[in-house]
Amino acid sequence: MKRSYLGVLALSAVLMLNIVFTQMVVHQYYYENYAITILYACVNILLFPIAILIYKKEKNRGGGNGYEK
Amino acid sequence: MNDRNNKIPFDEDNYTHNINRNNERLLDRRGFMKTLAGAAGVFAVSTLPWGAVAAKELLGLGDKEYPHQKIADVKDIAVGDSVKFHFPSEHDSAILIRLSENKYVAYQNACTHLRCPVYWVKEEKEMICPCHHGKFDASTGVPTAGPPRRPLPGIEVKVEGGAIFAVRVKRYEA
Repeated sequence: MKRSYLGVLALSAVLMLNIVFTQMVVHQYYYENYAITILYACVNILLFPIAILIYKKEKNRGGGNGYEK
Repeated sequence: MNDRNNKIPFDEDNYTHNINRNNERLLDRRGFMKTLAGAAGVFAVSTLPWGAVAAKELLGLGDKEYPHQKIADVKDIAVGDSVKFHFPSEHDSAILIRLSENKYVAYQNACTHLRCPVYWVKEEKEMICPCHHGKFDASTGVPTAGPPRRPLPGIEVKVEGGAIFAVRVKRYEA
């Protein structure tokens, strides 16, 4: 039962980036750099489909125990 | 029996292996990844309003211009005097100060500490809040003493035809 934690790690990284970009959005908004705010917000939204993709790719990786397919 | 055990995994022929207890694997790897992906979705949705307000600012909808309002005639205010008025609505009290011959400044005079009305003290050349003795610099609106930490919101004024008009409230600066 060899597990693949690649997906978990990748999704954790995505979530970390989410936190960072959300923080950036809020800060840049208060610094009144509105174009940069929108840029960061778009990146944050784009991270969601990426997370879904990683999930779909990784959900059946490893952890197979023979009878549960 | 022997050849069956050599096949890995051998075909199960008992009927006990697939009995699952409730919530046996409440947070397995897959469930955890699902949670992470969902959290990414929550973050994506939560940044939407920030993007929306930023877009609104970029399109200039935030810089609202109110109808110009006459505050006073130039001849009625001596240098160093102040006039109270209301701008942009009748509930927003404001103050206009004539600092020099051609320099007028106006602020919304609700103190940024607890919104007491700030008034102009001609002798000390300062705006003072009576509640906690907060002081504001007249030429910039920046707090100089007392509890307030944020500047008073400035009002843009325009002199036209011997009268002073309030044009718009300046952007609040955090």
